[in-house]
Amino acid sequence: MPTARDPGDLLQGTLRILILKSLLLGRAHGYAISRWIEDTTGDVLRIEEGSLYPALRRLQDRGLVTSEWGLSENNRRARYYTITRAGRAVLRTEASIWLEYSHAVTRVLRAEPSLA
Amino acid sequence: MSDDRAPRWRRYLGLVRRNVPADVDDELSFHIQSRVERNLALGMSPHEARRDAIARFGDVALVRSALVRHDEREQAAERRAEYVADFAQDLRIGWRAPRRTPAFTITAALTLALGIGANTAIFSVLDAVVLQPLPYAHPDRLVTLGRGSSGEYLALRDRLRTISDLAEWDATTDPVDDGRDALRMTGVAVTPNLLPLLGARPMLGRGFTPNDGAVGGGHVLLLSYVTWRREFGGARDVVGRTVRLEGLPYAIIGVMPPTFRYPDAGVQYWMPYVIDTRNTGLRWGVGGKTFVGRLAPNATLAQARREVRTAWPSLRTANPLWDPGPEYGRFATVTPLKADLVAASAPLLWMLFGATVLVLLIACVNVANLLLARATARERELAVRAALGGGRGRLVRQLVTEGLLLSALGAAVGVALAGVTVRALAGTVPAALPRGNMISVRGTALLFALAVTVATGIVFSVVPAIRATGVAARSSGSMLGRRGWGSRSHARVSGWLVGGEIALAVVLVAAALLLVRSFDALRSIAPGFDPAHVVAARISAPAATYAPGSARLASFYTDVLDRTRAMPGVESAALVNQLSLAEPVWAQAIRVEGQFENVKHTLPMVDHFQTVTPGYFAAMGIPVLRGRPFTDDDRAGQPLVAVVSQSVARRFWPNGDAIGRRIGYPFDSPWITVVGVVPDTKQDSLRDTSTTSIYMPWAQRTNMVSTELWLVTRTRVEPGSAGAAIRRIVHEIDRGVPVSDVRTMDDVVSRSVVGARFTAALVAVFALVALALGAVGIFGMMSYVVTERRHEMGLRMALGASANGIVKLIMGRALRLVAIGTVAGLACAIVAMQPLSHWLYGVSPTDPVTLAGVAILFGSVALLASYLPARRAARASPAAVMRNAAVGSGP
Repeated sequence: MPTARDPGDLLQGTLRILILKSLLLGRAHGYAISRWIEDTTGDVLRIEEGSLYPALRRLQDRGLVTSEWGLSENNRRARYYTITRAGRAVLRTEASIWLEYSHAVTRVLRAEPSLA
Repeated sequence: MSDDRAPRWRRYLGLVRRNVPADVDDELSFHIQSRVERNLALGMSPHEARRDAIARFGDVALVRSALVRHDEREQAAERRAEYVADFAQDLRIGWRAPRRTPAFTITAALTLALGIGANTAIFSVLDAVVLQPLPYAHPDRLVTLGRGSSGEYLALRDRLRTISDLAEWDATTDPVDDGRDALRMTGVAVTPNLLPLLGARPMLGRGFTPNDGAVGGGHVLLLSYVTWRREFGGARDVVGRTVRLEGLPYAIIGVMPPTFRYPDAGVQYWMPYVIDTRNTGLRWGVGGKTFVGRLAPNATLAQARREVRTAWPSLRTANPLWDPGPEYGRFATVTPLKADLVAASAPLLWMLFGATVLVLLIACVNVANLLLARATARERELAVRAALGGGRGRLVRQLVTEGLLLSALGAAVGVALAGVTVRALAGTVPAALPRGNMISVRGTALLFALAVTVATGIVFSVVPAIRATGVAARSSGSMLGRRGWGSRSHARVSGWLVGGEIALAVVLVAAALLLVRSFDALRSIAPGFDPAHVVAARISAPAATYAPGSARLASFYTDVLDRTRAMPGVESAALVNQLSLAEPVWAQAIRVEGQFENVKHTLPMVDHFQTVTPGYFAAMGIPVLRGRPFTDDDRAGQPLVAVVSQSVARRFWPNGDAIGRRIGYPFDSPWITVVGVVPDTKQDSLRDTSTTSIYMPWAQRTNMVSTELWLVTRTRVEPGSAGAAIRRIVHEIDRGVPVSDVRTMDDVVSRSVVGARFTAALVAVFALVALALGAVGIFGMMSYVVTERRHEMGLRMALGASANGIVKLIMGRALRLVAIGTVAGLACAIVAMQPLSHWLYGVSPTDPVTLAGVAILFGSVALLASYLPARRAARASPAAVMRNAAVGSGP
C-alpha cells in the first residue's frame, strides 16, 4: 500500500487523480479535498496533507485547475480550486489507464494458484 | 491567478500587489485550523488536536517555503505578461490617437523629422569620417611623425626603437600617357614597406618589393580600383601592361582593392619612392615627405613621443647641407594616424553635430508644447481613465508610448531625409572630408537614429505626460468641474518651454549670423592680385620628353606663350610654377647678403617662392611698386635677378631700398640681385598671414625638378572659349602634354573659401529651421493662451478694455517671453561661440552688432507670431465669449 513517505511516480499519479476526481464535485479548498479523499477511501489511502499543496500548484501550472480566494463555510478566507476542461480530459485518460492497470493486477492476483 | 483568458478587469484587482507569503500562510493555516477544529469536535484534547493536525500535514516549513518560491516566480511572470499587454494596449490607443488629429500628427512628425533627419545626416558623416576606425590593419597602432626629408627618414627609421616600421610617401602628379590620351593623374610615391605596414595587399598582381624602391628600380605602379575600372575598363590582363608616366615607361604590376585608399580617395596610383642615396642635395634638401609608422608591439604612444623628441633634434649635426638651427626637431611629435587624418574636419563636424542637436532639442520642445496643448483637450479622457483606476504611472506610460509612436513616425521620414541629404553632402565636400565617398546612412548611423528616436520620444512626452496626468488625477474627483488653475499652470510650463526653445534658437541663429558675416568678410579680402578676366590652366610637360632645364622644355613653353599671346583678346600671358590659392606655394630658406650668409647657420625662411616668366605681374594684375618687372633679358647666363614682396623688403631692409640688394639659395651659389618690389599677395588662402614672397625668373632657375607649369592668361574673351583655345594650342604643339584644371582665377579664389561657404550655408539652414520652429512655438503657445483666457479677455473688454489694449496685452506677453529667452540664449551663445572663433574671420564671437541683430530679429518674430492670436482675442465679442464661458464648453 502506497504511503505518503513513498513519493514515487505512482504516488504522484495517484495524488493527481485523487485531486482532480475530488474537484469533479465542484470547487473546493485544500482541506476539503483532503477530507474527501479521507472519507472516500475510508482513511485507507493516507496522504500527508502537506503534499497536497505543491501538487495543486503543479496542476495549476499545467492549466488543469484554477484557483481563487473566497470565504469558507465559517466565513474564513480560503483558497478555492476549480477543475478546468483540460483537467477533466486528463482525468478521463489517466483514470482509464489506472483502471486498466488495476484490473490487470487484480486478474494476476486472482489467477491460480490462489493466495488464500 | 488569472490566466490569459481571464477578463481584463480582473487585472485591476491586482493593482494592489498580492502579498505572496501572507497568502501562503493564510491558505496553510486555514487547513490546519480546520483540521484542529474537526479533531476538537471528535473529542480530542486541544493539545492532542493540534498535534494530530500537524502530524497529518507533514513538514509545514518545507511546504510553506516551496509554495512561496513557486508563487513569487509566478507573480513575476504575470507582471511581465501584464506589462507586455499594457504596452500592446498603449500602442493600440496610441495608434488611434494620431489618426483622430491628423493636423497635429503631421505637424509634430514633420518637426521631429527635421530634427532627427538633420542629426542622422550629420552623424553619418561624423561617424564615417571621425568615429570609425581607419580601414587598415590594427589602425590604432598606426602613427605619423609629420613631415621631413628622405635623409631624416632614413636616419629616424634606423634609429627609432618604439616604431617597428617606418615608411615615407610623397604626393606626385604626373602626366600619364596610356597610349590614347594624355592625362594628368594624381598618385603617391611610397616606400615599398608602406602597403604591408598598412596591412594592404593588391587584389590583382603583386605589391612592391624592396628592389622596386632601390636605385634603378621603381618603374612599376599599382592602380587604384577606380582608375582601373575607369581608365582600363577593369581588364584583368592589365597587369604587365605599360603606361608612360612623365614620358617614361612604367609597368602596371597590380590593382589595389576598392576599399583601399591612402592617403585619400583621390589617389589614382601608387609608385615606389626611390631614395637616391647618391644625391645628398635631394636627400637632405627636399622636405615635405610624410612619415608613417607602426608602434612597436610593446611601445606606447607616450614612449614614442619621448623617443622622437630626442632623436629628431639629434639629427641636427647629420644634415650635410646646412645647420638647421637650435630649434630643429624640438617640436617633432608622434600623432595617431587617424587623429592626423581627421584633424582638419573633426572640429567642424562636431560643431555641425552640435548645431543639429540644438535643432533636435528645439523640435522636441515644440512637440512637447503641442502635446501639452493637446493634453488639455484630452484632460477629460485622462480623468476618466484615472477615475477607473488607471494609476498615474500607467497613464504616463500611455502618453510616453504615444510620444514614441510619434517620434518613430518622424524618424521614418527623417531617416529618408537624411539619406538624401547625406548623398548631397558627400558630393559637396569631398576635399574637406578625408573619407568623403565612404559616407552613407547605414549601420551605426541607423542605430544612432534609433537611439535618438527613443530618446526624443521620451524627452518630449515626459513633461506633458507628467503635467497632464497630474491635472487628471486632481480633477478626476470633480470630473464635471471646469478646468481650473491646472490649465493656467499649463500655460506657465508651456511658457518655460517656449522660452527655452527661443534660447536654443538664439544660439543657432547667432552662430549662423557670425559664420555668414565671417564668410562675407573673407570673401571681401583682396587677394593682392586682380582675379577678374584671368584664366589659368595647368600644363604638364612630361619630364622624359622635356628634361628639366633643357632647351627643348624652354622652347616648348615659349611656343605655348607665343601662340597664346597671339590669340585675339589676350592682353598678357605668363607661366608660374605654383598657382596662388590653387595649391601650396612652397617656402624657401634663403641667404641674405650682409645679414645671413653662413650656410652652416640658421637661415631665414620666406613663406612663398614662385618661379615666373616675364609678364606674370601684368597677367595677374600685380602692380610693380618699385624697380622693374622681369624681362626677356633675364635669362640663363645673364645676372640672376629676383622680385620681392613688400614684406620681404621691410623685413630685411627696413631702412633702405631693397633694389640692388642681394639674396641667395641656402647652399653655396651665386648671389641674386633684387630688381623689383611688388605688394604682398595671398598665396595659400585668403586668410593667409604669411606674406613674404620671392619671385624668380623661370629661365634662370636651373635646379627645378618639375616640368609642370601653370599658364595664366589675362583675356577679354569669355573664359570658357579661352580655356578651349588654350587646350587646342597646347595639343597642336604636342598631343602628349596634358592640360588640366582650366579655370578662371575668380573660380580659384571662390574654391579656396569653399569650406567656409559650406559651413556657413549649413549652419544657416539649421538656424532657419530653428527660427521657423521658434516662430511656430510662439504662435502655438499664444494661440493656446488666447483660447484659454477667452473669458478673461471677454471680461476685460466688458469692463471697458479696448481691442488695442487686448492686442498689446497678448503681444506684450509674447515679447516678454521672447525677451527672457533671447537674453538667456545670448548668454549661452557668448559661451558657446568661444570654440567657434576658429571659424570666424573679421568678426568677434561677441560682436555686438550681430548679437543686437539677433535680439531684434527674435523680437520681430515674437511680434509677428503673436499678432494673429492677439487679433483673434481682440476681435471676439465679449458677450459671446462670456456666454460660452458660462456654459463651460471646451475649445
